[in-house]
Amino acid sequence: MSEPAIVIDRLSKSFRGQTVVDEVGLTIEPGQVLGLIGPNGAGKSTTIKMLIGQLRPDRGEARVLGLDPIRNAVAMKRLIGYVPERHCVYPWMRVGQAIGFTRSFYPTWDDGFCQSLVDTFELPLGRKVRQLSKGMTAKLSLLLAIAHRPTVLILDEPMSGVDAVVRDEFFDGLLQTIGEQRCSVLFSSHTLADVQRIADAVGLIYEGRLLAHRPVDEMLRSIRRLRGVLHDGQAPPNPPPHTIHQRRDGREWIVTVDRYEDGVLESLHQTRRFTHLEAEGLGLEEIFKDYVKGRRSA
Amino acid sequence: MAIDPHTHVPIYEQIAHRVRCSIAAGAYRPHEPLPSIRETARELLVNPNTVQRAYDALERAGLVYAKRGVGLFVADHAAESAQAAAESAVVHNLEQALGAARAAGVSNQRVRQLFEQAIQQPQPSEGAAP
Repeated sequence: MSEPAIVIDRLSKSFRGQTVVDEVGLTIEPGQVLGLIGPNGAGKSTTIKMLIGQLRPDRGEARVLGLDPIRNAVAMKRLIGYVPERHCVYPWMRVGQAIGFTRSFYPTWDDGFCQSLVDTFELPLGRKVRQLSKGMTAKLSLLLAIAHRPTVLILDEPMSGVDAVVRDEFFDGLLQTIGEQRCSVLFSSHTLADVQRIADAVGLIYEGRLLAHRPVDEMLRSIRRLRGVLHDGQAPPNPPPHTIHQRRDGREWIVTVDRYEDGVLESLHQTRRFTHLEAEGLGLEEIFKDYVKGRRSA
Repeated sequence: MAIDPHTHVPIYEQIAHRVRCSIAAGAYRPHEPLPSIRETARELLVNPNTVQRAYDALERAGLVYAKRGVGLFVADHAAESAQAAAESAVVHNLEQALGAARAAGVSNQRVRQLFEQAIQQPQPSEGAAP
């Protein structure tokens, strides 16, 4: 067994008495892609900032390739690529200068790969960074993060505000990196379809806490939304074990359950309260919404 | 057929299904290579680990075999097995539809009528005859 690429253990951070990250723990194995999801202000960015050494945790620890992000900052930064939420590439430089400047920090910089990214991303080398469109800036930011062939790649909302074409180009660059060198990736995103497409596992953060951390396929297989139509005058039964969220809408009773198996529907049938019962599978987006609603009504 | 990142069907299953359909349709014949994992991942814009998972599932099902360091190749009689797998998927879908019909109190006779109607509908993917 090789050691995990990223280990986060009971990481916590407060600002002015307000807990923003509360005992978050997760592990990313070599070559694994983890999507960090959660509403705005849930603690995703703060977690990422502690992971790359921009913030010091109050409690707990973070390790990237076994290195402490603050004590071993230089060694760690050579091995990772980081795409920040605000693509803060030096706005006064020309694109070519920004590339040359970043290149000087990395002994492992791959000029061939860099050139092929400049070509496929159609980056204008002579243009000032501040004059680039949002999509161009996102692509430049990705290039600067992957051209040194990092072992770990960390991206904070990398594709927010870019159009579908740029997003596909961005993904293509990202997937080349993952595919060619078994790079481990942690990325946060609001776009759940993107996470479902790219991630092996998801971490769901809500109000600073990690609500779920599991493989995407396993999650899609084990969560179902049950819909029952109640006989007139019947109250809904107790929710099944591992209920994530339930609501009642007139005669309709809708409940989202984890660890679903055929027996669940069968035992609900046997309560004889329903005229109709069915189970449907959910995509990541619906699962996420129900997790959050379940927490809010808890 | 594109990958759908919105449904509950895991993407590796969608990819395995795609390849199974292509083999059943004769797009890949026995002992011909499948596209590489990297190519497929880039074409579909999915994680290469996911393509790997799909190819592993096809290998376990005996539809493809691996040659070390070369890639994956279509097995003998893969088309027949793929066809059988595709048919069992159809049976599964029909069972689900029947279950829904019974739960909704639709009679068998009405189900037959609806099925006949549905089968008469021109198929969008096959409609464009040369």
